[in-house]
Amino acid sequence: MKNVLRSLLMWLCTLLVFLFPLGAIAIVSEECQDCHGDMDTVGEELFINVGVYDNTAHAEMGCLSCHESVGEEHPDDGVEVSKANCLDCHAEIEEEHQASAHGGNATCGDCHNPHRVHGLTEVSGYDLNQQCANCHQNSSVVESHSEWLPQADLHVAKLPCISCHTASEDYVIILYIIQQESEAVEGDFELSDHADLQTLAGDRNIQSLIDLNQDNFVSLAELRTFNRNPGYEKMRLEATLTPKIVSHSVQTLDNRWDCSFCHTSGTEKMQTSFIALPNAEGTFSRIEVERGAILKALNGTPDFYMMGTTRSASLNIIGLMIIIGGLLMPIGHGTLRFLTRKNRQH
Amino acid sequence: MAEKKMIYLQPTPVRIWHWLNALGIVTLCATGAQIRFPEYVTLFSEYKSAIILHNTAGFVVAISFSIWFFYYAFVARSMGKIYVPKADDIKVGIFRQAKFYFLTYFLGWDNPHHPTPEDKFNPLQKSAYLAIMFVLVPLVSLTGILLTNVDPLRGLIIMMGGLKILMGLHFLLACSLCAFLFTHIYLATLGHTPFAHFKPMWTGWEEDLEEHLEEHLEEHHSPVAH
Repeated sequence: MKNVLRSLLMWLCTLLVFLFPLGAIAIVSEECQDCHGDMDTVGEELFINVGVYDNTAHAEMGCLSCHESVGEEHPDDGVEVSKANCLDCHAEIEEEHQASAHGGNATCGDCHNPHRVHGLTEVSGYDLNQQCANCHQNSSVVESHSEWLPQADLHVAKLPCISCHTASEDYVIILYIIQQESEAVEGDFELSDHADLQTLAGDRNIQSLIDLNQDNFVSLAELRTFNRNPGYEKMRLEATLTPKIVSHSVQTLDNRWDCSFCHTSGTEKMQTSFIALPNAEGTFSRIEVERGAILKALNGTPDFYMMGTTRSASLNIIGLMIIIGGLLMPIGHGTLRFLTRKNRQH
Repeated sequence: MAEKKMIYLQPTPVRIWHWLNALGIVTLCATGAQIRFPEYVTLFSEYKSAIILHNTAGFVVAISFSIWFFYYAFVARSMGKIYVPKADDIKVGIFRQAKFYFLTYFLGWDNPHHPTPEDKFNPLQKSAYLAIMFVLVPLVSLTGILLTNVDPLRGLIIMMGGLKILMGLHFLLACSLCAFLFTHIYLATLGHTPFAHFKPMWTGWEEDLEEHLEEHLEEHHSPVAH
């Protein structure tokens, strides 16, 4: 009995040892945020957007895990604030990163802000390209791609760079809600944020705008209802191809030079799609969409068309009938012409 | 007894335009088929080559159409006369021509229409070309121009109902042009010899057989009068 009690006590102590720092982390992080969450106090460079930071995986570790040198007297003690090496925790990425085109050219911080970093499923296709644009100017990217890629401007504008430039062999289709910003007919469309959609949804959850029964699954019927709802006239669904898995091996896969990797109909890749809805804190949440949505002419977004890929089977049949109609004249008339050829031998 | 009479029917600019269009439209149909059905049509080893050729041919046909329009409307000033059916064409001509194609041709009667430079097309041809040159070709070219400039012209595309509608329209119009191609080539073989109508589009000159009415009636008992 004594042994059991002793063992229980040991477990309790161990648990306390582990749990205590979590509480301490929360307190310390809050203290940090008192100053660093206020731009007027620390200035733009040292400002941390608390709403965004709190939703990163790093927030769970607390500020001091990376900035160990910060003491009670910070910043009056004059001690330089230490920064952790990303590879201390993310060692598995090092080899992949070093072997890629970014190895030796870009550090982790050049692409990822540790106070804002989110996982692949929590960001929009637009965000994905923002970090690439830090170094790769859009105009020069379009120019270099124009040398071999038809409609390079369209590809660069509508695809996350990493859809072609990482080792992810597969991709999924992500649908986003965009909205017309100006009253002009040809007004620019912007990605809808949470506040925009909340205004539209009123008291309801914004998910209910498209996932009508809120079962975390968007059926083809729900997708069609959204696309045809006259109340959402200024909103449209836009789609991007996003890598299925995240990887740091920045490269150009050989099969991406082959247009038919994406532009071939009915592939498994085109069957999987998600709706990405913006959260209040700036991240995105994905909701699964019924398989094949993007391939169905009447259900997917009216603005998403990939040549060869998302062709409509019904239109193919109508087109074929038109061509057969054109062939009826040579075949039908030609047969009668052959049978009555003697009448014209004069 | 038939006499050969040569008529200069197709001026050089028209012939250049016609064959440029012919080459362009056949190229567009072939490359378009590969673009839409890449897993079944592999005329070109690379999908990209099909797209580049399709865009180039489309551009050439669109420019060629504009030149044609400019030539007939402002230089030759004969667009209305040649392409627009007259009241008489609609009331009588179309039916007479249809009757020839679908009935009296098989009985060995002559074509009731004899082309002249001022009246090149029979009433059915006029109606068909009117639809093709004033509806089909301009629409397929415009949808094609929008589809090759999706990013800069997105506002216009959305105004038209979105990419899918635009693409569907372009595809169906293209199928109609392809259907026209088969009928057009076949009908061109219905001259007094199978190549009689092809020659003037190459040389400019058409042989018009002027048959003597009396002999004609005696030999064939046909009511066709000249």
